[in-house]
Amino acid sequence: MGNDSPTNTRHVSTYCYQCVAGPDLLTVKVEDDVATQVEPNFAAEEVHPASGKVCVKAYGLIQKTYNPHRVKTPMKRTNPDKGKDQDPGFVAISWDEALDTIAERLEKIRGDGLRDESGYPRLAASFGGGGTPTSYMGTFPAFLGAWGPTDMGFGSGQGVKCYHSEHLYGELWHRAFTVCPDTPLSEYIISFGANVEASGGVCGVKRHADARIRGARRIQVEPHLSITGACSEEWVPIKPKTDAAFLFAMIHVLLHEHPREKLDLEFIKHRTTSPYLIGNFGFFMRDPESRKPLVWDANTNKAVAFDTPGIDPVLEAAFLVEKAVEEDADGKVWEHFDQRCFSSFEKLVAHFKQYTPLWASKICGVPAETIRRIAIDYLQHARVGETIEIEGRRLPLRPVAIMLGKTVNNGWGGFDCCWARTMLACLIGGLEVPGGTLGTTVRLNRPANSRQASVISTRDGIMDYPMNPTDEENWVSRPEVRNANRTLVPLVANSPWSQALGPTHLAWMMQDQTPQNWPKPTMPDLWFVYRTNPVISFWDTDSIAKTISRFPFTVCFSYTHDETNHMADILLPECTDLEGLQLMRIGGTKYVEQFWKHQGFALRQPVVKAPDGTRDMSWIATELARRTGLLEAYNKAINRGAAGVSLSGDNFDFNLDETKAHSVEEIWDASCRAASAELTNGEETQGLDYYREHGYRMTPMSQLDWYLYPSLEDQNIRFELPYQERLHRHGKELANRLHSRGISWWDHQLEEYDPLPEWKDYPGIWEQALEKNFNIDIKDYPFWLLTSRSMQYAWGGNADIQMIREVSRNIGGHGGVVMNSGKAAELGIEDGDLVEISSPLASTSGMAILRQGIRPDTLLMIGQFGHWATPLAKTFNTPSINKLVPMLLDLTDSSGSSSDLVKVSIKHIRTPS
Amino acid sequence: MTRWALVADLRACVGCQTCTASCKQTNATAPDVQWRSVLDFETGSFPDVGRVFVPVGCMHCSQPPCMEVCPSTATGQRDDGIVTIDYDLCIGCAYCAVACPYQARYKITKPSRAYGNDGMMRVEEYCEDPARLGVAQKCTFCSDRIDSGLATGLTPGIDPAATPACVNSCISGALHFGDRDDPESNVSTLLRENHHFRMHEEMTTEPGIYYLWEKALDRPEEGNDIAIKPQKLASRGVGGVGGAAPWLQQHWDWRVTANFIGGGTGTGLMVAVAISSLFGAAVMPLAMFALVFVLAGLTMVLTELGRPFRSMNVLFHPQTSWMSREALLAGPLCVAIVAAAWLDSPLLALLAALIGMGFLYCQARMLHGGKGIPIWRENMSVSLIISTGLVEGAGVMALTSASLSPGVVGALLALILLRAWIWHSYRRNLVGSSPDRAIAVLRRYNTPFTVIGTILPLVLVAGGFMLPEIGHILYPLAGLGALLSGWLLKYVMINRAAYNQGYAIEHSPERSAGSGGGQGAAPGWNDAL
Repeated sequence: MGNDSPTNTRHVSTYCYQCVAGPDLLTVKVEDDVATQVEPNFAAEEVHPASGKVCVKAYGLIQKTYNPHRVKTPMKRTNPDKGKDQDPGFVAISWDEALDTIAERLEKIRGDGLRDESGYPRLAASFGGGGTPTSYMGTFPAFLGAWGPTDMGFGSGQGVKCYHSEHLYGELWHRAFTVCPDTPLSEYIISFGANVEASGGVCGVKRHADARIRGARRIQVEPHLSITGACSEEWVPIKPKTDAAFLFAMIHVLLHEHPREKLDLEFIKHRTTSPYLIGNFGFFMRDPESRKPLVWDANTNKAVAFDTPGIDPVLEAAFLVEKAVEEDADGKVWEHFDQRCFSSFEKLVAHFKQYTPLWASKICGVPAETIRRIAIDYLQHARVGETIEIEGRRLPLRPVAIMLGKTVNNGWGGFDCCWARTMLACLIGGLEVPGGTLGTTVRLNRPANSRQASVISTRDGIMDYPMNPTDEENWVSRPEVRNANRTLVPLVANSPWSQALGPTHLAWMMQDQTPQNWPKPTMPDLWFVYRTNPVISFWDTDSIAKTISRFPFTVCFSYTHDETNHMADILLPECTDLEGLQLMRIGGTKYVEQFWKHQGFALRQPVVKAPDGTRDMSWIATELARRTGLLEAYNKAINRGAAGVSLSGDNFDFNLDETKAHSVEEIWDASCRAASAELTNGEETQGLDYYREHGYRMTPMSQLDWYLYPSLEDQNIRFELPYQERLHRHGKELANRLHSRGISWWDHQLEEYDPLPEWKDYPGIWEQALEKNFNIDIKDYPFWLLTSRSMQYAWGGNADIQMIREVSRNIGGHGGVVMNSGKAAELGIEDGDLVEISSPLASTSGMAILRQGIRPDTLLMIGQFGHWATPLAKTFNTPSINKLVPMLLDLTDSSGSSSDLVKVSIKHIRTPS
Repeated sequence: MTRWALVADLRACVGCQTCTASCKQTNATAPDVQWRSVLDFETGSFPDVGRVFVPVGCMHCSQPPCMEVCPSTATGQRDDGIVTIDYDLCIGCAYCAVACPYQARYKITKPSRAYGNDGMMRVEEYCEDPARLGVAQKCTFCSDRIDSGLATGLTPGIDPAATPACVNSCISGALHFGDRDDPESNVSTLLRENHHFRMHEEMTTEPGIYYLWEKALDRPEEGNDIAIKPQKLASRGVGGVGGAAPWLQQHWDWRVTANFIGGGTGTGLMVAVAISSLFGAAVMPLAMFALVFVLAGLTMVLTELGRPFRSMNVLFHPQTSWMSREALLAGPLCVAIVAAAWLDSPLLALLAALIGMGFLYCQARMLHGGKGIPIWRENMSVSLIISTGLVEGAGVMALTSASLSPGVVGALLALILLRAWIWHSYRRNLVGSSPDRAIAVLRRYNTPFTVIGTILPLVLVAGGFMLPEIGHILYPLAGLGALLSGWLLKYVMINRAAYNQGYAIEHSPERSAGSGGGQGAAPGWNDAL
């Protein structure tokens, strides 16, 4: 982009996708071929929702590029013994030797068969960061696509560190891999532990800051006062893992303490399944012929199929259905004649009579009046009946929303919270409408780049969903991968993301113990690791390290030495963020709060020359494909779109010659041309040079695509709430399948397939699981230990960046364990004292950080630390929750996730001099 | 006229430190040097707790205390209000750093690497600026960007190329930059439409950073001039580089203390020698002792300078800097002492004593000029430093003389009592005007100081009166106590209790427009948590 000063200065455009809240656009100032500064990309101000800015993590990329600890040549292990206590004895080798060694292994695998004797893929690969590594791994997905079955189910944070229940149920109910408020129009947001100010990226932060100044109110309900709590109007310090009770009580207030007219009855009647009648066996009452669910029509005063034209569905009455059937699990049908029954809505009302604010207050440690006040504020701000025009279309305006944070929306209770939040949106007609509760993107439904396109009606008038089958004929009885995602979790679907969203810890757990009547656990013959460090980032990290040390052959794409590649056989140094070349899709709507009015593509390009011994990921992928005889399949995969954009379309064709190995530039030049053609229907075909100069290429998109409601309205489809008839059936079928094979160890999880959620003592589940598995008295562990994201570190894999470490310490809580000042005084602990934190699993130590903004029964460790191999980070002495949280089946919910919380004790060790 | 100002909207700031990081790169600052940073304040107590993120840095004050004290004229101020540092003039005395009540100034003396001994990064090598070593450094408001932008017709605060990097980088829209003197500028509009305050307004520095905390809903016309009632509430502040609560200053170490010790004891001794000489005592050899003390002190402080070879620049600013004035008197003082000693002249001794008193007064005012250190800027610190200098001088005389006249003993007693009274009044005055930890440290040292410096000498002198036969043992011991206690006092005042001002906010921001702001906070003050 030209020189602009006497020194040779350039400003190079690229993107940052270090965290899931991206990607965002930036420029890097390069002076005399030295990258000196990260800067906003103000040229993108008009198209980027955060005005072309990037957050603090992007600024760390300069040090990441020049970090003296970088691995700059391929290395191989010389010590065959692996383990934390072993010196790997890495020695430098040539790229040829490294790639040939790997290719030889891969060819042997192909010779032996892609799946092993247990049916598991012999090749495994783990990636971190909520999918962000895809934006850095170039054409490596095309290599995996060419390869065939790959086990991508060894988790490195998934489930316990993500918004897991929200991912699965969100996709089911409103195509919402993650959920957020329509913040620019919102007036009242209740946030249960969602830490958007730390993890919402530049778009999230800007949207919420603007909302605050505009006058939007936000109530933060969480055990410690997070960054987001700090920026909220009110902090409600709730007991950990009791959020579902609070939400249930809010539903009670709306249903039992206010006239029905205050609710959005039109929405409830026509956009939800509330009027659907429920039979004695817990399934929809259906028309015996069409098998469509029945509703009671006020006009004809009889039960009719839900989609009968001109009807007025009744929500509450005495229903006497003349003739109907219920479809139970496994095709069993119950016939009814002159049957008295209730609507889904009536079931809901009756079920929630018990969940009063007073009841919840005892569980949550929050006064009943506070819960009631917040519920009333929610209702009052909902503006039921009002509308707004968006790009010529009149839509309901419901400027209220509820956000759920990590630990709230995963593990036991996550389903309840997600359901209750979505139900509360439905009661005021605020789901997927302007101002209300929105989904961001899809990762399980297809197509991947359009939420709207997946809105297809089922026979029941609800959105279709790619549920994994549970019927006898189609159930995936033999796990395809080691975490058994499709076998155990119907909701996890079968997209490229599904493996990573299965019960990823099962893959690790089963390495040590074979569950009853289950295929023998096996280790992968070869494991690729890219931009992830599960020995630090997962739970029960000591046992993860031990398991990894037994893997026969591990290949780590490495930036510096770290705890996972300490156990590797080969290290492959790749070009880092500012050195590689890749085109990626940007814009549209995406988590956490990326809502653009444009969509298109951006280029990541070498800002400076990479160190000699490093290689671009696409070069590595091509070489692996070439050396394993997969070149043709690899090129086909690229042509198909495995690298992000399909190289041919209706009126363009930039397909690569499948027989040749192409250079990195050739691959991305073709991708750039195809991207331009896709955006312009073939009219424009700008190549790599254009993207190098401009950085990105966008086209406008409609703001109406932020909302799903228009698609449902157009097709007269309903949101599948409140009653979970479909899940209930799948749960019963799954139980039948598992029990027929003598599997009872998943029974606890099967109990969660309730058609309406029922409060379970969620804190008690943790306490009882710990007592049962560790034979301890839970009273000896009086504190809840939680974790929280840090804007400076979250997803960044950047603990080894000095500047990030330095600036993060300006924010309270980094570098130790946070505890309540008053409680600390009771225990004789002072700020800065060294304390030991013990869970029934393990102990760690660190500095006590005393704050007023945390419940006395709660401790907090921010971020993920505990490094022992990563340069710089290993000197931090910062305690990490990950070492202390046990990996237990008892703590795994039906979706296959858990929450990173545990009961702990604290002991004073010494006061530093 | 133009007056550049920064407006930080506390309602928007989320403490992300993007501005901190951006500043570090734009200005290539060394590890742990943060010209811009964002603090994390807690207010209140569980469960009614608030938390506020506060961007800080050089406030580019209209009345900058740093500029007043700077002895070399390295610190200056442009017509547009930007406070500047001329790295080529600065001697690295760090006086400006202790005078700044916003802890905005840094001094590093050797290159520091992000990864220490593990290697120097290419970017560090490229960006290293040797001119910044050993001198004061701080935020420049990115004046180079402003100037080059203005030169090409751009508007600072509006056009990114002419705007400070921190403002450009701010992701929440909290930071704004513009011309305070232009009533239609972006910052003037913001200040008109919102209630705001400036930090440590009571110190009359007229800082150039404004904090927005509440929308001026019904009374927009009041936004600009809303009366702010300072409310110093106790609170905890945290942070990496310093944090929000006052911390012990690190700019002046024991070598500066040695200068105050040498200067005080030397000039006090010269005064004692001169007065004694009027009564017939010899000027030699004690006058030479006085000279040695003064020179030793000056030598020690020379080693503290970041740029000792420019030390003569210390003389450039006698108009307002007490350090320049002290330096200016050092030469005549030494000459006068040598002359008095050489000629054994009581008259010249008296002259030397008078210059010495001037030197001692300069030293006392120099400490007092450290406005960033509340226990220094307390007015009684001046009389305390002077009185202890005189006590120390008399103490040396008592310590070194074989026999003492009743007049000298009486003078020593009177000075000890005077110093004790000043010390008591000084400490009393500090309550409420100094950080809690500073007061606590002084309280901790009160007993040893009082015992060694007051009670013991009094008892010993009384003993000497009652038992004249051992007076030659007791009086020197009394003198020793008086001397050492004075040295202890200075060590404590400069190296142990010199907590800086820390940071404070007058109000917490409102968290939704119309909800109103909350209480302020001054972490580390008024019996903080």
